[in-house]
This record gives sequence, C-alpha cells and structure tokens, in this order.
Amino acid sequence: MSRQPSLTQSMSALHTWAGLVLGWLLFAIFLTGTLAVFDRELTWWMQPELQDRQVDQASAVQVAQRWLAANQRDASAWNIGLPTARDPSLSVSAGEQRRGQRTLIDAESGEQITPRETAGGSFFFRFHYTLHMPRFLGIWVVGFAAMAMLVAIISGIIIHKKIFKDFFTFRPVKGQRSWLDGHNASAVLLLPFHLMITYTGLVIFFLIYMPAATDALYGGDRDALLRELRPDAQQQQGARRGEGGRPSREVQTASAAMLPLDHFITLGEAHYGAGMLSSLSVAQPGRVNARVEVRPLLGSRLELTKGEALAFNAITGELLRAPPPTRTSLLVQKVMAGLHFAQFGGYPMRWLYFICGLVSSAMIASGLVLYTVKRRRQSAAQGVWLRQVEWLNLACVGGLMLACVALLWANRLLPADLAEREGWELRVFFGAWLAALLHARLRAPLRGWLEQLAASAVLLLGLPLLDLLTALAVPDRIRLGVDLTGLGLGALLALAAWKVSTRPTATVRAARRAPAAMAEVQS
Amino acid sequence: MSNPVSKTSVVWPSTLGRIVLAVAGGYLFTYGFTAALARLLPLERVDALIGATLLSFAVYSGFVLWVFARPLRNALWALPVTLLLLLIGFGPQWLGGVQG
Repeated sequence: MSRQPSLTQSMSALHTWAGLVLGWLLFAIFLTGTLAVFDRELTWWMQPELQDRQVDQASAVQVAQRWLAANQRDASAWNIGLPTARDPSLSVSAGEQRRGQRTLIDAESGEQITPRETAGGSFFFRFHYTLHMPRFLGIWVVGFAAMAMLVAIISGIIIHKKIFKDFFTFRPVKGQRSWLDGHNASAVLLLPFHLMITYTGLVIFFLIYMPAATDALYGGDRDALLRELRPDAQQQQGARRGEGGRPSREVQTASAAMLPLDHFITLGEAHYGAGMLSSLSVAQPGRVNARVEVRPLLGSRLELTKGEALAFNAITGELLRAPPPTRTSLLVQKVMAGLHFAQFGGYPMRWLYFICGLVSSAMIASGLVLYTVKRRRQSAAQGVWLRQVEWLNLACVGGLMLACVALLWANRLLPADLAEREGWELRVFFGAWLAALLHARLRAPLRGWLEQLAASAVLLLGLPLLDLLTALAVPDRIRLGVDLTGLGLGALLALAAWKVSTRPTATVRAARRAPAAMAEVQS
Repeated sequence: MSNPVSKTSVVWPSTLGRIVLAVAGGYLFTYGFTAALARLLPLERVDALIGATLLSFAVYSGFVLWVFARPLRNALWALPVTLLLLLIGFGPQWLGGVQG
C-alpha cells in the first residue's frame, strides 16, 4: 500500500487529469461560447444581402403590418421579428410561430428579401452546449465537462497557495515558467468569472442534470412541477391554443379594425424600456377578438425573460395580461441563467463577456500546453503518450480556431444560391478541423503550432478584405465590428505564431530550468 | 515535499476506484443529498426543490474533491450516508407514496 499523498499532491493530480482529459472539450465549449456572445452579429455578417435601414421599430412594424395585410390577410396569427440594435432585420411569418417559415422583408420598402442560407452565428451557440451531437446527449456531455471544470477550478485554487503573490508575477520569456505564470495569471485574474460562468452554465439545465428533488417531491412528474412553478405559463398556452390553434372553426368571427401596430410598440416600450422589444405577434388579426402580444429582448433585465409577453386587446389597446413577477426561488435560477447568457447591459457588457471568455479559453489552452511543457523533460518512457497529447492539443486548440475562421470564409466563398448551403458550410468547418487534426499528427509540435496559428491569423486578418470583396454594399456598423474584431484577433494569433517561431530552443531552456520550476509547482 | 511520489507508482486499481467513486458515487450521493434537502427545507415544495437543486453542483464538486483528498477507505463512509439521504428523500414515497 502506497503512502497517502499530501493534499496538495492529490489535488494537483486531480487538477491535472480532470483538466487534461476534459480540457480538450472545455476549450471547444469555451471558445464557441465566447463567439456565441456575438451570435446575432455573426449571423448578420453571414447574410450580406441584408441591409441596415436604420428605421425605428414603430415604422418597421407598420411596414410589416402592410405586408402581412396584403399577403396573409386570413392567417390565424401574425408574427413580426422587430429590428434591434444587434440584428436590424425585419421578419414576418404567419400561423403558429414555432413552425412558421420566416420571411425577411426590407424594413423600408417592404420588399421580400431572400438572403443566402447560412449556419450563422447560432451554429456557435448550439455547438457551445451540444457539441453538434444530438441535443440531449450533447447537453449531458457538456454538463459533465462543466462539472470537471468546476472541480479543476477548485482543486486549482487549493494547489495554488500563493494566490495573491502570483497575481503580480509574470515572467514572459522564461519557458515553462512563462506558461505556468500565464496559466496562473489568467486563472487568478478572472477567477470569479471562471467560477460564475461554469456554475451558471450548469444551472441553465439544472432540472435535467439533477432531477432528484423533482423525483422525490413530485414523483418525477415534470408537468406537475411546471404547473406549480408558473401557473401563468399554462394559462397562456391554453389561451393561445384556444385562439390560434383552430382557425377553421373560429375564422368566422366578425372583422374589426385593429389599432395600428406601432401603438403597441409604444405600450410595450413603456413597460420594458426603449429599444427593449424583440417581437410582436397578433392572434386573429383583423377580427373582433384580435389580440397583440409584445415580447421583450432576452436582456431587457438581468433575469432571463424567455417566453415572456405582454398581451393587449388589439382593437381597444386594453392590457389583457402582464407577466406576473417571478417567484423568488425561480428568479434566482433565472438570474443565474441570465448571468450566463449575457444578454443584459448592452454592448459594454457583451464586450466584457467576450474578453473574459477569450481569457478563459486562453487559460484552458495554456493549461493544456503547460502539461506537455512540464512532461517534456521527464523520462523518455512517456514519449509516446506525450506525443499523443501534443498533437491532440494542437488539433483541439489550433484546429478549432482554424475551423471557426474557415466557416466565415466558406460563408462568403460558397455560391450564394448553393443547394443545402448550410450543410456545406458545416462540411467546410468540420473538414478544416479534420485537416488540422491530420496536420497536427504529421508535423513536429512547434512547426505544427506555428503553421496552424499562422493560417488562422492570415484568414482572420483577411476577413475585412473578404467582406469588402464579397459583400454587395459597404460594410455597416455591425459588419465593420465583426471585420475589426477579426483583425484584432488575427493580430493576436500572428503575435502568438511569431512567438512560437522565435523560440526554437524553448524545450532546451525549459529542461535546464526544470528543477527550479518543478519545486515551484509543488510548493 | 521534496521527496516526490513518483508519477508512475500511482496504484492503478485504487486510482480507478477513486474515479468511479467520485463520478458515479458522487452523483448518487448528490442525488440523495438534493432529494433529502428538498424534503427537509422548511419552504414551499417548489422553492425547496429549486433551492436544493441549485446547490447540488456545489455538493457534487465538494464530494469529488473530498474523495480525492482522503484515503480511499475513509471515502467509503459515503455509502451509508448516501443510503440515509436516499431514505430521507424517498422514504415517504416508498412507504406511503401519497405525495405529489
């Protein structure tokens, strides 16, 4: 029986293995999550046929109402996606919202627009929590990785006693110690963020991950729980079913003149605040029982307001139903989910999350690299294993970055009217990733890193040029933002590539410093 | 600790045992803990459910760390505790089954 290792040693082992084995997944989850902060902006960039008409919601909704009255007069319901600061497109659909095919129309002229099909920025969002697996399986795998992240963070804190001292320690050009410092600095600096984003990520699907209390108190009956949780939501659904679901029987109600829809924008903004509305729908448009629902943006406040709506009588403008305040316990959960979704606080908050997300991703990547840098000087017996970790690191970190940029390039270079275009974009994404994986397997580690970082950097730096050459109009505010962000990230990756290229002796240097650095890790 | 425990001397069966205990045992423990806590919290049952479930991820990670920090035989104490928690959480259901 071997001697029980010290607390620091066992926590160090836990940190290393939980971090290494799930670090590859975690990097993918964190990087795509970071990109998903700007999912709408990326989707807008990926549909250059759309133009920002800069009309306010009040006039946009009139354009939409005219279009619907002309094209969908007898529909059981109208749905209008309003232009917002993040997504200036105007969309309309008829019938039940979930199934209805969205039609995009010009917010000024009301002409129908057919933009290219694209995976869009929402691909990153979905990948972030499902890893492109079947939804349920993906949620569980991501949840497992998030638990490992939580354990890695806490065990990291335990092994890291000199937490405040190291905060101010960074020795940029000292081989392994730089990697250790970089990993520590990014970890310690944003410790609250790492903890918050991991825990709140788990909280989003808390009842799926941990159904124990539901099983114990409700006998596993999720519907009974939901009824008790949101009595209002059930009512709402019942009402909607009654009004919109059976048009054939109810369509004969007398027609009546509705108030102009922009009136309800004013009413909605009075409740949620200016610029805080995302969509508007009308049940039984043009009938005496017509009813308007106005929905807020997800980020109208800290709480995640998914599925919330104000309902009005469309003829008189009378308020029929306002969402009741959420009960405190559920509010806690929804605020935590809201903290994760980062929809509140506008662009400053979005940028803060984006930068924090980049630092988190960098922390995970530096931890992965640190593992190989530390092990490289140890016995040759680990050579085979080390080689596997090295190329997997490169494939998961460098390869994914390359794949993400490749998706943007594919979006612009594939013919706009290609059949199943969305699928082809994804084929390019996964194809680029696969190519990077093979490349990582074949090349020597440092050369591999250099080449993949440089390739991603070149593609990112070329993004503004690509936008200029392939878009039909001058870049607007949002597309310019994506272009410039690409430029900035490209510069960062180019810097990283340059660092790699100028340090061929890093291994040697690391080996020479090994004893000192080793003592430091253990202390 | 200048005398390092050599990396390869980690006893594999015990490491594997720890991993299984931490991941699967930890989930079962957390499951029992959450059910018992939801049963015991003096709140309306919806609120007790949400409160206990929100806490469960902290409990799970705490358990995993505990399993790795203690000698394995100490960690086996978790078994009777888990059974007790499950009994508190699901006892009323198993015995009478009138809830819900």
